[in-house]
Amino acid sequence: MVPQSPVLVVVIPLIFAFLALLFGWWRKGLCYPITLVAVSISFLASLCTLHTVITTGTIHYHLGNWAPPWGIEYVVDHLNAFVLAIVSFISVVVAISSKRSVEQELPDKIVYFYCMFLLQVTGLLGIVATGDMFNLYVFLEIASLAGYALIAIGEEGAPFASFNYLIFGTIGACFYLLGVGYLYVITGSLNMADLSQALPNLYHSKVVLVAFAFFLVGVSLKMALFPLHVWLPDAYTYAPSAVSSLLAPLMTKVGAYVMIRLMFTVFKPYFSIELIPVTAILGWIAAGAILFGALMALAQIDLKRMLTYILVSEVGYIALGVGLANRAGLTGAILHILNDAFMMLALFLVVGAIMYRSGKREIPQLRYLHRKMPFTMATFVIAALSVIGIPPTCGFFSKWYLILGAIDASRWVFVAVLLVSSLLNVILFFRVIENAYLEPDEEHAGGGSELAIATEEAPLTMLMPILIAGAGIMLFGVLSGKIISTIIQFAVPQCF
Amino acid sequence: MRVLALLTVILTGIILLYGTQDMPNWGDPNSPASMHVSPRYLERTLEETATPNAVTSVLADYRGYDTLGETTVIFTAGVSCILILRARRRQKKENA
Amino acid sequence: MLDFIISKYNYWIYIILMMIGFYAMIGKKNLVKKIIGINIFQTAIILFFISTAAKRGGTLPIIEHGHGHGAHAIEAASYVNPLPHVLMLTAIVVMVSTLGVALAIVIAIYRRYNTLEEDEILEKRKWSRNLLF
Repeated sequence: MVPQSPVLVVVIPLIFAFLALLFGWWRKGLCYPITLVAVSISFLASLCTLHTVITTGTIHYHLGNWAPPWGIEYVVDHLNAFVLAIVSFISVVVAISSKRSVEQELPDKIVYFYCMFLLQVTGLLGIVATGDMFNLYVFLEIASLAGYALIAIGEEGAPFASFNYLIFGTIGACFYLLGVGYLYVITGSLNMADLSQALPNLYHSKVVLVAFAFFLVGVSLKMALFPLHVWLPDAYTYAPSAVSSLLAPLMTKVGAYVMIRLMFTVFKPYFSIELIPVTAILGWIAAGAILFGALMALAQIDLKRMLTYILVSEVGYIALGVGLANRAGLTGAILHILNDAFMMLALFLVVGAIMYRSGKREIPQLRYLHRKMPFTMATFVIAALSVIGIPPTCGFFSKWYLILGAIDASRWVFVAVLLVSSLLNVILFFRVIENAYLEPDEEHAGGGSELAIATEEAPLTMLMPILIAGAGIMLFGVLSGKIISTIIQFAVPQCF
Repeated sequence: MRVLALLTVILTGIILLYGTQDMPNWGDPNSPASMHVSPRYLERTLEETATPNAVTSVLADYRGYDTLGETTVIFTAGVSCILILRARRRQKKENA
Repeated sequence: MLDFIISKYNYWIYIILMMIGFYAMIGKKNLVKKIIGINIFQTAIILFFISTAAKRGGTLPIIEHGHGHGAHAIEAASYVNPLPHVLMLTAIVVMVSTLGVALAIVIAIYRRYNTLEEDEILEKRKWSRNLLF
C-alpha cells in the first residue's frame, strides 16, 4: 500500500463511484456507506503519502512505469501532500454530514448524487496530485463537470446559476488548454519538471509570455479571484447544502494551489516576480478582492450568500500572500489554504444544519437560535472569530503571517487593507451573532423560544462534522507552529 | 454590454496573435514539438508496445492514464445528464 | 508584416475562429447560441493543436511494414507527430461531454422558465424574487 499511496488517493474514489452506482441500483441504502468507505480509504492513503513525504522527501511515481517526459508521473512534494490531506479530510467530513440533507432535499436522486460526489472528489484529488500539465486539464474537467451537475440540482434558480458557472468555467479551462498548447509548441514537453528546466532559456520568447498570461487568467477564473468571481455567489447560494459544503472549501483552494504550482514551479520565481511584475499586479487585485468581498457581504440578507462573498474575500487573502512574494507572505498563503478550508467548512455546515431544521436562512430570522441549536451556533461563533482573526483560532495565525509579509515588503497599504478587512468582518459577523444570541428585553425569561425557526438541535450525523470542524479550527490554531515547521517551511520555494 | 464583449474578444485575439510571432512555421520538421519528446514514440513504438500505430500506442500505453481520465469524463457527463434531467415524480403528478 | 501573416497563416485562421466562438459565448443573449459558441471555441483550439503536429512531407504516424521484421531504421522526421493527435482525442471527448451537460442544464432551465433568452430569464427571476420580499 505504501509505495502506491499517491495513486490510490485518486483511484479509490473513482472505482467506488462506479461501485456506488451499481450497488445503488440494487439497494439505495448502500450508497452512503460505500461513499464513506471510499473517502476514508482515500484519506488514509493521503495521510500515508504525507508521512512518506515528510520522512523521505518528494515522491516521484511513474504511472505505467514509463519514464517522464514520455509517460505521466505524479510528483508529490510538501505542498502537494499537504493539500491532498486537506481535500480528502474535508470530503470525509462532508460525506458524513450529507446523509440527512440529501434525503431531505434530493430524495429521488440519492444514488446518482453519491456517484457524482465521489467523481467530484476524484477530480479534485487528481488535480492536486499530478505532475503533468495535460493530466491536470483532464482532471480539471472531471471536477468541473461534476460541479456543474451538482450545482444544477439545487433549489430555485440553480440551473441558471450553474449555466453561468459552466460558461465561465469552460472559458477558464479553455484558456488553460491554450496555455498548455503554447508551451507545447515552443518546448515540445508536457511534464512540469521538464518544462521548468526547458523554460528558463526561453523566457525572452513572446510565446512563453502569452502562455503565462493565459494560464493566470484561466486559473483566476477557476479560483474566483476578483473581478472574475461573478459566477461564485449565485452558484454556491442555490446549490444543495451538501454540495456547497463540499465545493466552497475545496474548489477555490485547489485553484489557488494550481496558481502557486504554475507561478513558482513551472515558471521559476525569477520569471513571476522580476521579469514580469505579475506579483505586484496580483497584490493589488487581491487587495481589491478582500475589500470587495467584505463590502458586498455587508449588503446581504441571505446568510449563505453572505458566506459566499466572504469566500471571495478569503481567496483574496491567499492571492495577497502569493502577490507579496516573500517567505512570510507565502507561508501565510499556504497556511491560509488550510485555515480557510476549515473555516468555510464550519460555516457552510452550520448553514446546512439551519436549513435542514427550518428551511430558512435569512439573518433576521435567526432569532433565539442559540437556545434551540446551542452547539451549532457555538461553532458558528468559533468560525466567525477565526475569520475575524482572533487568537487562538487558526485564522489569526495566517493573518499574522500575511501582515508580517506585507511589513517585510514595505507595503503599508496591504497592512491597512488587512486590518480594515478584519474590522469589516467584525461588523459582518456581529450582525448575525446579535440576531442569534441577544434578545430584546420585552421577551425576556423564556418567552421567545417558541419564535425560533428551528425546533431542536441538528441531528447527530450533521452535528458531529460541525463539531469536528470547530475543533479543527481551534486545534490547527494551536498547532500552527508545528505545521509550519514540519510542512509549510519546505513547501515554500527554496529561493525565498 | 456587447461593446464590452467585443472589446474583450479583440483584446484576447491581439494577445494570441502577438504570441504567434516566435512560433515555428507550419510544417517545420525541426520544431521543438517534433524534436523533443515525439521521436521516441515513433522510433520505439514497435519494440516497446508491438503496435505499428503510434497514436494508439501513445493513447493506450504511454499516456494511458489520460485515457482513463477521458473515460471518466464521459461517465461523469452521463451521470450528470441523468441527475439533471430526471424529473421528480411528485412534480409530474402535480402537473398532470 | 505580410511575411509574418503568410508564414503562419494557419495560426491566424484558428485564432480568428477562436475569437468568433469566444464572442458568441459572451456577447450573445440566447443560451443555445452561447453553447454553439463554446463548441466553436473548443473546436478551434483542437485545430490549433493539430496544426502544430504537421510536418512537410510527413505521412501518417503508422509504421509501415509493421510486423515484417523490417530492418530499416525508422526516421522520425518522415512521420507526423503523434502526440498532439492523442491529446486532441481526449480534448474532443471533453468537448462533447461539456456540450452534453450544457444542453441538459438548458433543458432544465427551459422546463422552469419556458424561454431561452437570458434577459427574459433574468426578468422572471427578479419578478419572483420581489414577490418573496
